[in-house]
Amino acid sequence: MEERSTSSTAVSTPGFLRRCVFSTDHKVVGLQYFFLSFAAVLIGTVLSLLMRIHLVWPTVSLPFFGTIKPENYLAFLTMHGTLMVFFVLSTVPQSGFGNYFLPLQLGVSEMAFPKLNAAGFWTTLLSFLILIAAFFVPGGASGAGWTQYPPLSAIANSGPGQALGTDLWLVSMGLFCVASVMGAINFITTTLKMRTPGMDLMRMPLTCWTWFVTAILSLLAFSVLLAAVILLLLDRNAGTAFFVPAGLIVSGKAVAQTGGSPLLWQHLFWFFGHPEVYIAILPGMGVTSHVLSVFSRKPVFGYRAMVWAIVAIGFLGFLVWGHHMFVSGMNPYAAFAFSALTTAIAVPSAIKTFNWIGTIWDGRIRFTTPLLFSVGFVSLFITGGLTGPLLAQPALDIYLHDTYFVVAHFHLIMAMAGLFAIFAATHFWFPKMFGRMMNERLGALHFWITFLGSYAIFMPMHLLGTAGHPRRYSELTGVQYVAAMAPLQKFVTVAAIITMSGQIIFLVNFFWSMFKGPTAPANPWECTTLEWTLPSPTPAGGFGEHVPMVNRGAYEYSAPGAETDYLMQDAPGS
Amino acid sequence: MPITSGHETETPPKLGGGGPGKISRRRGYGGDDGDHGRPDDFSSSRSRLRRYRVGVALFSVCVTMLFLGIGSAYVVTQGMGPWNHEAGSRVSIWRPLLLPYRQLWLNSLLLIASSVTLEFARRGMLKKQEFSTMGIRPPRFKTEFPWLAITVVFGLGFLAGQFLVWNTLRHQGVYLGGAASGSFFYTLTGLHAVHLAGGLAVLLYALCGDWTGRKFESQQIAVDATGWYWHFMALLWFGIFALLHFARG
Ligand code: HEM
Ligand SMILES: [Cu+2]
Repeated sequence: MEERSTSSTAVSTPGFLRRCVFSTDHKVVGLQYFFLSFAAVLIGTVLSLLMRIHLVWPTVSLPFFGTIKPENYLAFLTMHGTLMVFFVLSTVPQSGFGNYFLPLQLGVSEMAFPKLNAAGFWTTLLSFLILIAAFFVPGGASGAGWTQYPPLSAIANSGPGQALGTDLWLVSMGLFCVASVMGAINFITTTLKMRTPGMDLMRMPLTCWTWFVTAILSLLAFSVLLAAVILLLLDRNAGTAFFVPAGLIVSGKAVAQTGGSPLLWQHLFWFFGHPEVYIAILPGMGVTSHVLSVFSRKPVFGYRAMVWAIVAIGFLGFLVWGHHMFVSGMNPYAAFAFSALTTAIAVPSAIKTFNWIGTIWDGRIRFTTPLLFSVGFVSLFITGGLTGPLLAQPALDIYLHDTYFVVAHFHLIMAMAGLFAIFAATHFWFPKMFGRMMNERLGALHFWITFLGSYAIFMPMHLLGTAGHPRRYSELTGVQYVAAMAPLQKFVTVAAIITMSGQIIFLVNFFWSMFKGPTAPANPWECTTLEWTLPSPTPAGGFGEHVPMVNRGAYEYSAPGAETDYLMQDAPGS
Repeated sequence: MPITSGHETETPPKLGGGGPGKISRRRGYGGDDGDHGRPDDFSSSRSRLRRYRVGVALFSVCVTMLFLGIGSAYVVTQGMGPWNHEAGSRVSIWRPLLLPYRQLWLNSLLLIASSVTLEFARRGMLKKQEFSTMGIRPPRFKTEFPWLAITVVFGLGFLAGQFLVWNTLRHQGVYLGGAASGSFFYTLTGLHAVHLAGGLAVLLYALCGDWTGRKFESQQIAVDATGWYWHFMALLWFGIFALLHFARG
């Protein structure tokens, strides 16, 4: 808390380090998060490729690495999940795009706490580096999965990767929790206290609504994960037994600690874990609503219903964690309650889906890359969402739990849908962030490869799962019914290799356009929201001394009687 | 003691030591961490204060969730032991603690006292900030009754007292790595102490601001925000104390 002279008036241009590295400017912080996730998604993708290759050709020897041993597979699995869930899906949509565009869409040039914001990024970076460092310590990275179930994760010598690797994983997650909470406080305060005059809550773009609600979820959920992480770290290093049950024997040796319960971790973890999946997907939903409206030249269908659906999803998300624990031996009455509540989430989810379709219905659609990816999001969300209510039935889940069916479900609804929203947002806001346009042709090509590829990879997994193929095994040699599924597994791996190669198109398009793309006008998509009133790329000072006055809602497309087919939020008159 | 300012036309802000609700809402103040380059701008320092209060409230929610997580783990662990196959029921292996109540109550009193003195400091500085925005140069708070310094002493006293409590338990043979009751005791009280120490650090920052040339406004906001946090910490302490007492097994 110290005074800063405003960045709006560029009295003296600060040096490169202050401007681009140790900056408290929300745009710089947003881009830093964005590129951090870029690194994370590359590593995470390579890891998944290695896993897919190993599943189909277990004996193949990789250059610089050799053959993948089972413990390597588990480490790849854990790191892939952790990187993707935390450093990609919880980072880009919220901390990346949110930091950059929340203030701009609200008509202000700063976050409520710029220093806290920057500190959040540096904490996230530290957390990332600690996580990656686990690859290089004795025993390697943790192999306990992104859910880190005890008791094995609570005992330091329970296997390879369970020593220092798991401690590093826990420290990394603890730091990530702290960073997320910092960001969340910033987002909520900014939304509540900093909106420009006229920007009523019900005039905010839906993107701002999802960033706001996601921040509330982060605040509540990450604090609980932090509690769980602290307790597990104490179990591993201070001899406590919060999660270590009585009479535990590991590798033939009795464990001295006693008196805790591994189920306690599952409750704490999933109390965080289910809201976490909404932290990952809500900002993507906001981007989808926004982009669909812009390129159909129609207002969002049922804006109010959309807002309430966002809030309802956020609220219900805290009541359903038990659906991850149906096989834990829980009381059947509790399972019934969790099942009913989980199914209830289908209602606001369906409201959102119908409203997305209603938004593009009968619109004058402009087939741009962002629109394609947003339609792809809706498609994947429906496909992945249909298996949710199935998994929510305890009787079915007892069979399907920990099979590839669950892998198919959450990859379609969370991983792929989330990625599609990220691609849509990147193409959509690229002009505002870098001042240039991305190539539309390459964008469309990339979309079709990724879209068809996602279905080719994950649809067959439903079949693998219903046939009983368990997840999280590196090899199941000698199990006959699994061996029969080898051709399908091979198909999935080939599809994965093709789809991942297709991502090179995106990389080329992204970096080429950054330096060589055509210069972007201030408002290339003819949008209504405030960030498009600024020149492209956004000037360092944002709005500067200018205070935008908001006169109308965020989705005034094809307004009757208007001269243009869109009305900017700050255009005069109401 | 309501003061009208020339800057705000809508509702005059009611000042004078009120809670966050007492400052009139003024929507849409686009700004940065400080102000709009006008350091004396009344409304900008107001809105900054308001932002910090919201931030502290949110942080308190987050800390509450942290302790609810551990607290619920405590209740569950206390209530159920491992399954005994022969008996076909759970056996309780919970070992109740002998809490050093005299010490704990003494610490509690210290914490309440520090909350009260900090409230005096907070209100005093808020008033002074009002005067300063009316153009009257604020006298340094050092020359006044040193509420802030006393708060710091009380706070340190509480931490020292907690340390003595841990010592007492250690002499009883209760360790962090021992029975679950002890593990929870040290974890809950330890984390509370860490959080309180954080507040103490901010108070020290404000206290040293006089010598390090911090602006009065920053000191005032630091003390105000920490004030609310500190009251919350005191409440939290009684929550923990109650949990340790009523669910001691
Ligand atoms: C219609 C709404 C949804 C329903 C009814 C639903 C239901 C379920 C159920 C019952 C499970 C547990 C499966 C098992 O452990 O065997 C599950 C797992 C999962 N779900 Fe969903 N879900 C829904 C939406 C979502 C969304 C929106 C996301 C992400 C953005 C998501 C991500 C996940 C993930 C990551 C898992 C895997 C957890 C693990 O590692 O076991 N789900 N879902
Ligand atoms: Cu869930």
